[in-house]
Amino acid sequence: METLGYLIDGFGVALAPHNLMFALIGAFLGTLIGALPGLGPANGVAILIPLAFTLGLPPETALIMLTSVYAGAMYGGRISSILLNIPGDEPAMMTCLDGYPMAQKGKAAEALAISAIASFMGSLIATIGLILLAPLLAKFALTFGPAEYFALFVLAFATLGGITGKNPIKTVLAAALGLMIATVGIDSTGTQRYTFGVLELYEGIDFIIAIVGLFAISELLFFIESRAGDGKGPMKVNKLTLSFKEVREIMPSSIRGGVLGFIAGVLPGAGASLGSFIGYTLEKKVVGKKGYFGEGDPRGVAGPEAGNNGASSGALVPMLTLGVPGSGTTAVLLALLISMNITPGPLMFTQNADIVWGVIAALLIGNFLLLLLNIPLVGIFVRLLSVPPKYLLPIVTMVAFVGIYSISNSAFDLYFMVAFGVFGYFLRKLEIPMVPIILGLLLGPEMEKNLRHALDIADGDWTVLWSSGLAIGLWVVAFVGLVLPYIVGPILRRRMNAARQSAE
Amino acid sequence: MTQRNDRICGVLLLVLAVAYGWGATQFPEPFGGAESVGPDTFPKVLAVVLALSSLYLIVKPDPDNAWPTGRIVLELVIAVAVLVAYTLLLQPLGFILATLLAVGTLCWRMGAPPMRAYVTGAIAGVVVYLLFTYALNLALPLGVLSVLEGS
Repeated sequence: METLGYLIDGFGVALAPHNLMFALIGAFLGTLIGALPGLGPANGVAILIPLAFTLGLPPETALIMLTSVYAGAMYGGRISSILLNIPGDEPAMMTCLDGYPMAQKGKAAEALAISAIASFMGSLIATIGLILLAPLLAKFALTFGPAEYFALFVLAFATLGGITGKNPIKTVLAAALGLMIATVGIDSTGTQRYTFGVLELYEGIDFIIAIVGLFAISELLFFIESRAGDGKGPMKVNKLTLSFKEVREIMPSSIRGGVLGFIAGVLPGAGASLGSFIGYTLEKKVVGKKGYFGEGDPRGVAGPEAGNNGASSGALVPMLTLGVPGSGTTAVLLALLISMNITPGPLMFTQNADIVWGVIAALLIGNFLLLLLNIPLVGIFVRLLSVPPKYLLPIVTMVAFVGIYSISNSAFDLYFMVAFGVFGYFLRKLEIPMVPIILGLLLGPEMEKNLRHALDIADGDWTVLWSSGLAIGLWVVAFVGLVLPYIVGPILRRRMNAARQSAE
Repeated sequence: MTQRNDRICGVLLLVLAVAYGWGATQFPEPFGGAESVGPDTFPKVLAVVLALSSLYLIVKPDPDNAWPTGRIVLELVIAVAVLVAYTLLLQPLGFILATLLAVGTLCWRMGAPPMRAYVTGAIAGVVVYLLFTYALNLALPLGVLSVLEGS
């Protein structure tokens, strides 16, 4: 019941007119970003973070806007899947399977509407799950000591590669690099570390700059290399004729997909790809021979879309309660929190209750906004899809520049951002994941603090790190999280590809 | 298929790990005397983790991705040069002109017809400038165009 009270307070925050307005802006921009092929939710949120800063938004407003961007981007991803047969990101792949055939049959509007409804259901279910689960997890996490926290951070890194991550050692490597970058600057004892006397480095490296460089600038370079995107134009969208019966028909698929997606999102490392994949496979199993999957079955659109969106809201659970993000985009959101001097984790639920519950309420409201926005306005998003990326990406890059510039007015930061962009390009070429680097940058200081604490209490005895049952449990999960993708990842990827090929 | 990329990367990172770890041993003792856990402890752990994982990369590299060649390398270098030039010119030339040049050049190099590319750059520059100045109340440098402001 305590939760309910907080939630009502949260609605008070989220329904404040300016917060509502920023939620609407965020939802619109997010859908736009998600709809554009090549720009995923992580990039989108990364580009908009500097803007949130320059606007001088209070933390809850900034967070509300960016969670709306996040939710919007997950919504928008389906538009390019259905109309272009180009998944905006990996989780959107499953939506192509039946979404594109539906569009080919002249039912693009129905496919878009169904996917919007399913996305809504998925997010709604997951948000309710978040409301129920998050306070419990936060309460549990209050029992963590420094050693448990240290193990938890290791777990975060270990599972970050996710099931679709390729080489787990590269995840470890990337995490180490990120943590190393985090040690640059003056540490808590006043020692200068790796500053080489450069004044700009005394404060450490600003992770916003690193994030924007790694995501936005490297995207531009990658696009130049691949020159992708100048393919066919989007499908024509017919007039929407969706009957109540059809909506009722896809409801069970949406609910199943949403629940599965939420679970996949909460589990560390599983994420939205798994959410949409199991959402789709379950539909195929449940419906069986009566379905016509791969040929434009609406349930094949609803299942994965609900799963995808359920997972993205689910991923907020570990991020908010433990301060451990489950995906790239939640890592970027975490960056926002930390840079606003809010330490995510169990204490946030007591110390910054208004923010947490404001954001959760905003997520609920955002979903309604997105549904309202998406069904009538789908035409606008479709028209924007026909803007070729060769015009779009330079403008996006410029927006990133302006954002960073207006935070600090420093050319040094901009050079640094470009350098991170080039670095990011090489990392992507070498298939070294970038998210662990970001996470290393973000969690580095906290991780080191907890390590010091734990060792200080134990007089420098390293075994303290695995001395409690809870800590051992976390280490075991971390280990499994690191090794499991090695085994499950190739299978999942193969199945996703096989499903895609057999549909073509 | 060769596996050179990962090997080279592994060697470079190994060198980095050693340099970083050595750097950690050079930290001056913090004020208040040596503790059991000093500023060097965490970096040393990281150096070991990075060294081990880069060794693994050298021993068991993944197959290479194709690197771009010839023209595309040139295009990439141009793009980076444009970004650096943009940073350099942002103050002296002003936001609108710098953006016109940078966005225009990028669009053009990515395959847009030059006229349309620079028109896109100009529109982007003016729109963002107006948005920032009047809607968001943030100052972007006007540079050489500031002569217009007085009139």
